[in-house]
Amino acid sequence: MPFSTIATPEAKPVANYKMGTRLEGGRLLYVSGQVAWDSSGNIVGKGDVRAQARQTFANLRGVLQAAGGDFGSLMKITTYITRIEDFPTVAAVRGEIFQGELPASTLIVVKSLFHPDFLIEVEGVAAV
Amino acid sequence: MDRREILAERPVEKGRGFMPGVSVNPARILFTAGLTGRNPDGALVAGGMAPQTHRAFERLAAVLAHAGAKFDGVVKQLVYVTDIEAYNASGRAERAKFFGSIRPASTGLVVRRLADPAMLVEVELVVDLAGAPAGKPLLEKFNAESHPGDFHQGVIVNGGRLLYLAGQVANNPDGSVAGVGDWRRQAEKVYENIGHLLRAAGATPAGAVKETTWVLSIDAWRQQGAPVRRDFYKGDYPASTLVEIPGLARAEFLVEIEVIAAVA
Repeated sequence: MPFSTIATPEAKPVANYKMGTRLEGGRLLYVSGQVAWDSSGNIVGKGDVRAQARQTFANLRGVLQAAGGDFGSLMKITTYITRIEDFPTVAAVRGEIFQGELPASTLIVVKSLFHPDFLIEVEGVAAV
Repeated sequence: MDRREILAERPVEKGRGFMPGVSVNPARILFTAGLTGRNPDGALVAGGMAPQTHRAFERLAAVLAHAGAKFDGVVKQLVYVTDIEAYNASGRAERAKFFGSIRPASTGLVVRRLADPAMLVEVELVVDLAGAPAGKPLLEKFNAESHPGDFHQGVIVNGGRLLYLAGQVANNPDGSVAGVGDWRRQAEKVYENIGHLLRAAGATPAGAVKETTWVLSIDAWRQQGAPVRRDFYKGDYPASTLVEIPGLARAEFLVEIEVIAAVA
């Protein structure tokens, strides 16, 4: 693993994610904010945040794999959503995907994403 | 420099001028603050989105030049706008003048407010730099132009190990929220948590490279949170971005702060 996990009993996460990660070697990969479009640019799951979250993470995984990594390579993700009420659904999808602990993680509710139909966008930093 | 473009031919991003992913050998990396369309006197340029976007990139170009870089070294851009229609209509074209055919990894967000209510766009960059880190200090913090803000416009990391913290909120170790409804207490708790994590990673506040502060109210943050931040950094500021957004993971959270730091 080209990164290590930072943890301390004095500052614990509010959910199942890492509080910090430190790059120890390898290459630094920045992944663009991924959204729920298919390879032709059609939106998958219009109005359906669960379907959008699944497609978004599938797209994220595609970038990680193309760079020689996978979900386990992620040091940090930032999840942007447009409606706070979608967070439990997004958290459930992330739980299915990561099985164990999430990378270091930030969750932000934004006014909107760059297209009004997008309900979720996820960007990542990885060590590959 | 050893930049690799990931899925460069994926059609969706290609058509939009960015790259799904960019990887680099992190020998020397520059993090910029979020820069906006301010003139040297601090006032916003007149004329709306196009002039503001142009000015923001002009200032970023100066920061890159200070570090010996150009836009072809940009790994990642983060574009914050308050008006997406205006950005699509006239901001994108200004951005394209600086990037040309260069495609970085990218995230674009529509937020509620930036530092000044009249600001329409703010852009921050991560940049791969040429040269070897040997003989250079771990961090080079600099301003390409003088400004009154509590931040550096650019911070170069020379050969350090990058540390990415989760967004920090005002949570106690038992999971309860510190300072419900209390901006100052939340700011204190967030920086307390950041301090603990930096120490656990072998870093210090002075080792912070980039900070993004997400708040529900910039006005309240400036009054009650900013003094706590000043005490934490003691003048040795990272490159930073301050953004107002409508919500965080829990209704009680008023602020969330992300820090990237470096250790030798």
